[in-house]
Amino acid sequence: MTQQREELKEIDQSYGAIVKRQFRKNRPAVWSLRFLYLIVLIGFLADFIANDKPLYCKIDGESYFPIFRDYAVGLGLAKQPPALMKITDWKTVDYDSVIRTPIPYSPATTDYSNAQYVGPFDKQRIQSSRYKHLMGTDDIGRDVLSGMIHGTRIAMLVGLFAMSIASFIGIALGAMSGYYGDDKLKMSRIRIWLNLLFVPFAFFIAFMARKNLVADAFSSSTISGLFQFLWSFVLFAIVMLIPNLIAYPLKRIPFLGKKRSIPIDIIVNRLIEVLRSIPGLLLILAVVASLGASLVYVMLIIGLIGWTGIARFIRAELLKVRSLEYIEAAEALGFSRARIIWRHAIPNSLTPVLIAIAFGIAAAILTESALSFLGIGVPPDTITWGKLLSKGRVAPEAWWLAIFPGFAIFITVTIFNLLGDGLADAIDPRLKQ
Amino acid sequence: MLKYIIKRILIFIPTLIVISLMIFGLSKIAPGDPVELRMSGGLQTGDTGQAADKQQGEKVYFEIAKEMGLDLPTFYIDFKSKAQPDTMYKVGRRYEKEMLGRLCSKYGNWQEVSNYYKSLKALEYSSFNIPKNEQTFEQLKNVRETVNELYREYDDVVINSKLNNIKEAINKDQTFEEIQINENNEADTVTISKNLLAPLKVEIDGVLSNYNSVKQNAKPINRYIPKITWYGLKNQYHRWMFGDKPWFRNSDDPTLISSGFLRGDFGVSLRDGRPVWSVLKEGLIITLKFNLIAIFLIYLIAIPLGVYIAVKKDSLFDRFSTVLLFILYSLPTFWIATMLIVFFTNSEYGMDWFPSFGLGEIPEGASFFESFKISFWHYVLPVLCMTYSGLAFLSRQMRGGVLNVFNQDYIRTARAKGLSEGKIIWKHTFRNSLIPIITLFASILPGMIGGSLIIEYIFSIPGMGNIAFGALLGRNWPVLFTVVMLSSVLTLVGILLSDILYSIVDPRISFTNKA
Repeated sequence: MTQQREELKEIDQSYGAIVKRQFRKNRPAVWSLRFLYLIVLIGFLADFIANDKPLYCKIDGESYFPIFRDYAVGLGLAKQPPALMKITDWKTVDYDSVIRTPIPYSPATTDYSNAQYVGPFDKQRIQSSRYKHLMGTDDIGRDVLSGMIHGTRIAMLVGLFAMSIASFIGIALGAMSGYYGDDKLKMSRIRIWLNLLFVPFAFFIAFMARKNLVADAFSSSTISGLFQFLWSFVLFAIVMLIPNLIAYPLKRIPFLGKKRSIPIDIIVNRLIEVLRSIPGLLLILAVVASLGASLVYVMLIIGLIGWTGIARFIRAELLKVRSLEYIEAAEALGFSRARIIWRHAIPNSLTPVLIAIAFGIAAAILTESALSFLGIGVPPDTITWGKLLSKGRVAPEAWWLAIFPGFAIFITVTIFNLLGDGLADAIDPRLKQ
Repeated sequence: MLKYIIKRILIFIPTLIVISLMIFGLSKIAPGDPVELRMSGGLQTGDTGQAADKQQGEKVYFEIAKEMGLDLPTFYIDFKSKAQPDTMYKVGRRYEKEMLGRLCSKYGNWQEVSNYYKSLKALEYSSFNIPKNEQTFEQLKNVRETVNELYREYDDVVINSKLNNIKEAINKDQTFEEIQINENNEADTVTISKNLLAPLKVEIDGVLSNYNSVKQNAKPINRYIPKITWYGLKNQYHRWMFGDKPWFRNSDDPTLISSGFLRGDFGVSLRDGRPVWSVLKEGLIITLKFNLIAIFLIYLIAIPLGVYIAVKKDSLFDRFSTVLLFILYSLPTFWIATMLIVFFTNSEYGMDWFPSFGLGEIPEGASFFESFKISFWHYVLPVLCMTYSGLAFLSRQMRGGVLNVFNQDYIRTARAKGLSEGKIIWKHTFRNSLIPIITLFASILPGMIGGSLIIEYIFSIPGMGNIAFGALLGRNWPVLFTVVMLSSVLTLVGILLSDILYSIVDPRISFTNKA
């Protein structure tokens, strides 16, 4: 057994190696990957690149690391020292010695002496060239470059989080519909009936009875809200165990135990068609209008409606894979369906899905930017690329607000599109001909 | 094939139902009380402290609620816990529903909660019967405001403290200076204290005892017992979709107002009470016009361009245009639109070539040529923005399609036969590579309808998307959800058409037996 598994793994690796080799031949894609690393790094280290607090400073003989300290305070590991709490303007503090971040502005820092759209080449009222606004300022004097850097974090977060949800749903549903088709998923009558009967009940116990509880948790903090929400799902699963356990002995009765097939392929395809036919942006607008503005909601919604591409990819792939010999062999060996799907079929069809994920991340970032551009979905104090760009629309004299944030969105989207293209070529080199 | 088309149309129906359910659900959780939003158009009566005014306000509220069909249960069936009453939909205001729902689910005893609610109402109404004067004004105001706060409150501690506040306010005596004639026949000012609010004492005691019995007779277990209620056809969803007027005969009953979504009645706008359709009509025409022009241009340019690039494969032109098309495809529409607005519509950068917003005013009696000239300049930039992305996408697909056909054996045969290159391209390749392109229509459409929202917003075009956006900001829910629903139906029809087209154009594809 273990030997067999290792062999499978080796084949797997070699397939990956082929794809990798093909991918490396594609120069734009390789450069995109490098650029992606850079952007992720910028997003990750945003606080250390653009911040009005210094990285290190010495005040009255005491040494501080204000940014690290903020992280520690945020995690509840430390308290803010009183000497730092008094500081309101970090620029004018009398430091003994100080190491500043490369860009000495936070995205929300307002520099009133440079308010009303001061461009990068305009004369700026600053202490030294160290404090120059390299990409200009907006109407209330916030540094655009700093906003751009912190916007990177939001864009990456949205792309990652939304596509994680989308991948999970897409892979699960797509794999089921591709592998089982309309006639391969068979269940005994009693199990279908009991499951159908229990779904509303489980939904009631897990979500409706806990509705107020979850709502209260969300209003106290997003984290506790999410925890309660996830707990509802666990509860749902626990309740759904009951009908399956009851059905187990009842299956022995011939009439109840008769196998019926579940048209899972039709169901998933209908679902995809429903989601595909609602214009995404309008649907998100409607949902955000109904639920309220929050970055978490935006990511959730993008994820919940963005899985269709992934599902279609993996479905097509599994349709191919399911008739291959090694799946037949696994079936002949008597492995369970779930095991065959998760351990044998999906890992071999996952690489093409990366294409859909890459394009999906591009689409998610684009959607989020469009939403912030419209001023919906993201709370007012969060600075994103889309928000900066929307200021460019109302202030035509500030060309830097129209160019830089839009360019950032464009570059990021292009990187993911190029990655997707490169992957597609690497997986199926015939297409490139 | 007819079988396939019929089957396809039949599948269309459940999809439409699911979409309508989704949108209906969203419209039901949208924040704000629609009736109050509708009333804030000027019908709202301020709290003048008169019982008659208060009752008038309630009456108007319920009339509007009835007009909008909000006095009906939400759906055919309702699935909720046993703690909740069947008749919650009859309670007026949304926040009161919320409060009662919370209390019910906490204490699981609708009867007691209802008594508490009724006694609160009674307290409020009898407070209007107390004569209002300098001394009582503050106290009465205090009582009423606290009662109004209690209509929203479901937290035990807060309720208790508020009820005690009311009690204190009621129990406070007022002092009056009265002129009395004393024994010596002299006018004398005497200070007496009297409680004009005394009649309310009974009421507040009633509220307190009712609230206590809510807590004492709590049956929290009810929260975990599910219950299904069947409401029948008289419900909000049915009214929204099918209307309450009879379908196949005329009816003179003036209480039946709605003809339902399927008969083109989308409800009334919350802002001005106009029918949604009349708000949307012009916007829909403008949006459709823009989208049709854009789609026409996309196909007009993309198909020959894609063929041309494919024919010139591996040339410098191929490489250049492939990169260019890729960049065009990745350019965010709203960025390009913003840049066009910034650089080409104002004099800041000396390139004030295009009008910056709207569709332009066409003067009375302008000739066709004149009005065309005016609208043309307004159309250029938005249409450009709507076109380029789809154009890039389609050209890339067309190139791929043609190249794919080029590799087929029958093309090699045609070449071997010695056919001219032109004949090979246009007669053998072009036709066959066109098939998938036609159906791509379906995948462009939703993006275009959604995308036109942003373009209409940026260029201030009064299209459907812009109306939807305005409705979103103004909480004009019927308009917003109608737009979502209409555009989904449009897209669905587009997909349906392209599927049917596909099956007609390409007889090889058999949908009836899936592999």
